[in-house]
Amino acid sequence: MDWLTILIIVIQCFVITLAVTTAFAYLTLFERRILARLQNRVGPNRAGPAGLLQPAADAVKLFFKEDIVPAMADKPVYLLAPAVAVIPALIIWAVIPFGCLNLNWDYQACYDPARTNLWNILQITDLNIGVLYVLAVTSIGVYGITLAGWASNNKYSMLGGIRSSAQLISYELALGCAVLSVVMTYGTLSTHEIVTQQQGGLWGIIPQLLGFVLYMIAATAEVVRAPFDLVEAEQELTGGYNTEYGSMKFALFFMAEYIKLIAVSALAVTFFFGGWHFPGLDILGREVTALAGPVAGSIVFGIVSLGAFLLKVVVFLFISVWVRASWPRLRYDRLMDLGWKWLLPVGLLNLVYTTVVIILIPDRVVHSWVLFGLGAITIAIAIGFNRTPKPIDNVTLVKDIQLPN
Amino acid sequence: MDALTIPPVDLGLIAPLLVVVTWATGLLLVDTFFIPVGRKKLTGYLAIAGLVVAGLVGLPLWGVSGSTFGGMVRLDPFALTLTWVFLLIGILSITMSLDYLPRQDIEQGEYYPLIMFAVSGMILLAQGADLIVLFLGIETLSITLYILTGFAYPRLTSEEAAMKYLVLGAFAAGFFVYGIALIFGATGSTRLSEIGAYAADRDLGDTNLTLLLGGAAMVLIAFSFKAALAPFHMWIPDVYQGSPTPVAAFMSVGTKGGALAALVRLLFEALPTLNAYWLPVLAGLTALTMVVGNLGAIAQMDVKRMLAYSSIGHAGYVMLGVMVAGEQRGPEAFIFYILVYALSNLGAFAVLIALEHQGEEAWQLDDFAGLYQRQPLLAVAMAIFMFSLAGVPPTAGFMAKFYALTAAWEGGLPWLALVGVLTSAIAAFFYLRVIIRMFMTEPEGEPAPELNRGLTIDIVVAAAGTIIIGLIPAPIFALVERSAVALGG
Amino acid sequence: MEVVVQITFGVIAVFILVAAAMVVSVRNVIHAALWLIACFFGVGALYMLLEAEFLAVVQVLIYVGAVSVLILFAIMLTRQITGEGVRQLTNRWPVVLAIATLLFATVLAPTLINQQWNVPPAPPLGTPEPIAGPAELGRGFVNEFLIQFQVVGVLLTVALIGAIVIAYEERARRRKVLTLAEELELKRLREQTSPTVPAPVEAEPVVQESRSASER
Repeated sequence: MDWLTILIIVIQCFVITLAVTTAFAYLTLFERRILARLQNRVGPNRAGPAGLLQPAADAVKLFFKEDIVPAMADKPVYLLAPAVAVIPALIIWAVIPFGCLNLNWDYQACYDPARTNLWNILQITDLNIGVLYVLAVTSIGVYGITLAGWASNNKYSMLGGIRSSAQLISYELALGCAVLSVVMTYGTLSTHEIVTQQQGGLWGIIPQLLGFVLYMIAATAEVVRAPFDLVEAEQELTGGYNTEYGSMKFALFFMAEYIKLIAVSALAVTFFFGGWHFPGLDILGREVTALAGPVAGSIVFGIVSLGAFLLKVVVFLFISVWVRASWPRLRYDRLMDLGWKWLLPVGLLNLVYTTVVIILIPDRVVHSWVLFGLGAITIAIAIGFNRTPKPIDNVTLVKDIQLPN
Repeated sequence: MDALTIPPVDLGLIAPLLVVVTWATGLLLVDTFFIPVGRKKLTGYLAIAGLVVAGLVGLPLWGVSGSTFGGMVRLDPFALTLTWVFLLIGILSITMSLDYLPRQDIEQGEYYPLIMFAVSGMILLAQGADLIVLFLGIETLSITLYILTGFAYPRLTSEEAAMKYLVLGAFAAGFFVYGIALIFGATGSTRLSEIGAYAADRDLGDTNLTLLLGGAAMVLIAFSFKAALAPFHMWIPDVYQGSPTPVAAFMSVGTKGGALAALVRLLFEALPTLNAYWLPVLAGLTALTMVVGNLGAIAQMDVKRMLAYSSIGHAGYVMLGVMVAGEQRGPEAFIFYILVYALSNLGAFAVLIALEHQGEEAWQLDDFAGLYQRQPLLAVAMAIFMFSLAGVPPTAGFMAKFYALTAAWEGGLPWLALVGVLTSAIAAFFYLRVIIRMFMTEPEGEPAPELNRGLTIDIVVAAAGTIIIGLIPAPIFALVERSAVALGG
Repeated sequence: MEVVVQITFGVIAVFILVAAAMVVSVRNVIHAALWLIACFFGVGALYMLLEAEFLAVVQVLIYVGAVSVLILFAIMLTRQITGEGVRQLTNRWPVVLAIATLLFATVLAPTLINQQWNVPPAPPLGTPEPIAGPAELGRGFVNEFLIQFQVVGVLLTVALIGAIVIAYEERARRRKVLTLAEELELKRLREQTSPTVPAPVEAEPVVQESRSASER
């Protein structure tokens, strides 16, 4: 490994970190504008043209706020918590393939599962256990919130922290099941390989419809977004785990949350929507290579694939904001019910489906559609079963009361 | 993706184990979905049926010798006989629980499948020929027992017992794993036969053996803990006293049988060439165990605690057979002793259960005062068990002790046999004390014993077994002799 | 390269040892748990150094991501987190330390150094599959270690059942928390059946009952 390679990796890391934090800043603006639109308001539009400088204004405000540490807080842990929250959100990007820009100037190597002659600059590292890495990193994410809640020495923070750890542990299982069924479908743990195997329009959502639904629900809970944002339910917890955090430390929590949201959207695209694939992408690569040589072909291919990837991610982010605007928050016991009694069993069922169908029907196309059908039927049955308990089920009517013996 | 290849596996060789495990798993579901609360006895009957079926399935395997799963699991008459003994222990324990649980208001259907899982762990210990399998067997047994110990969890003593057992048991498990790691590091294998081959290739003075010996020592510590050998016996009295009585009964014979059966395999398949190292250590432990157990029991006024100490003492006598298992008499004495001890001890615990009311603990020596005048049959049964545990002639206990002591004598450990004789004499004191209380004193309190079908069957079977084996030991001797043939260093 | 690996190993090893020492010596239980997490990370890094990426990631996933979270969770639900008055060590700790050091230095260390390890020969450089890759591990589970794999399944089932048995309360045994309307109605019913007893005395046990049920 010569110094040039190392330098390139370092630059990659810097660029991605900066890009992701910028994306976070503009995601807040995006969310506020869309939420406003959905609620028939205008939203922030004063700072800069069409409010485009609003994130910068927010950042400046947060930087210059007074930095307060509560007197009775456990100071080392209190200061550690925001960092612990942000780090997993950033390092998870290491294995996500944004696109495929082959520095060996051969766009076709992108489709090669053996990865010979591939030096993809749009993915920091292609671990052969990339998916497990993702799961491991998301599982660390809970610490930031839990420790913040505990170290603040505040009962609301504490409750928020405990809620969060319980929620994240519960939904991690369902998330793991969903991701594992994807892994079983493609027979690899490498994110790059999962993407290349989705070539040809047979995207992951077709064999893994059920997995996709599970993933979306579990991932939303995992990044504590609405409707699973009980951790910071203002009415009950005055802000939750970050009640005692101000200034940049608060911003770090905020940042971690949004970056994780982008990350799970990117992962959803990677696992279920073909990653950087786009219809006609290989034709484009072939034509440009024929016209302007392999270098131009690779560059165009890389940029277009990156664009396709980002476009898909934005669609997911929009859906997330839309969900936030539309759905009320779940009650805590319902949240636990959903995680343990519905998502986890269905996730296990999905693993069984995937194994059995893939072993019985070796043909890729056929088993994909069979799995799609099974998934659709299961979702229909699950929704049919899941009669929402009405409030009346949880109380005894006054007329029904009997004296205890 | 190349196709998965699963190696040929002879499921027949693990048939009893398979039956117990699948039956228990199925029973869990049946219990949850089909058996209403309040009729959980049905689960118990089904569990007994499962254990009986497992025993019957084992019948055609008699005389079969072989290993499967790539040599990880072994079946030979030794393992099969022990399997039957373990199944018998399971059946007797469940029978005595049938009425105990509702009376203590802790009846839950899961109890019976859990006992079955524990039995499966014991069977695995008897059959395992690989350190990892043995570890898993021990863990299956122990985890089940942690749960069962805390089964009466609103009762504080039960929780305390479960906690103590769990913490100390986890330590023992840690020792076991560390030992396995060292042994694997030394030999590059966890298979008992391969470890044995590695050790046999080397001289005793070889420095390369040190690591193996260190690992073996760790594993021995873990086994000693499970079997309650002397310096590692501290948990026994508290845990037995706190746990529900049938569980204590099961534990007293079950863990001992399982752990020591595995120890026999370990010593004589993996480490036979190293016996110059381990024999003195184990002999010392055994002597200490017999002394500590029997001396400790003298001071106890609580009969349940006394039985706990006596179980430590008996672990020592069982060890006599284990240590000389290289000779023909060793494994014979081992199996015979386990069987007899199981019958007598389970019987004694069953009598304790009969005297126990809900929430009350009628285990003091004084509670036995004048039992003969109130419940003559119960008193006679208890007397039989006490005589058997003490090793008084007409009972099976005498034959067992005699067998074990002569095995040790012939196996080259005469001094240990002498210690055994001496401690038996001490033991007679506290066993006979119970009998004297029952027959020769006037009743003081009025703990009216509750005898019902399950307990009666249990006590009768155990008492009859104890007497019959004591009077006509020949058939059992024949069985034991045949099952011990396969082993032998 | 060899030197770099050695130095890295040394740094990681010292880190693990320090973290482990902190786990047992820190008074605050939460801090102890955090040091434990640091220790687990260190072990994961060691696996990474051995090129066992799968094990490293699984180490983080299971020990850091699941086990330690549960430990933290359990600690947070307990009351006394800082054991200021609790003594960490007995008076005899120097003796124990001396014995342990002596045993390690005289028995274990020489043994480990002099041992001729019975290891399989290293695979040739450039083999595609890492030493402990997930695929090989999976193949091991259905081939060589089939029985262990199955028994672990049984073991985990037993542990799950046990956890449920210990934690689960029968619905029939659980006392219900009453709402205010229910309490009032209950009170009214009681008054009807036994009008002689004054009302406030009656109200008291109902409240207590509901509270004790909720605490459970």
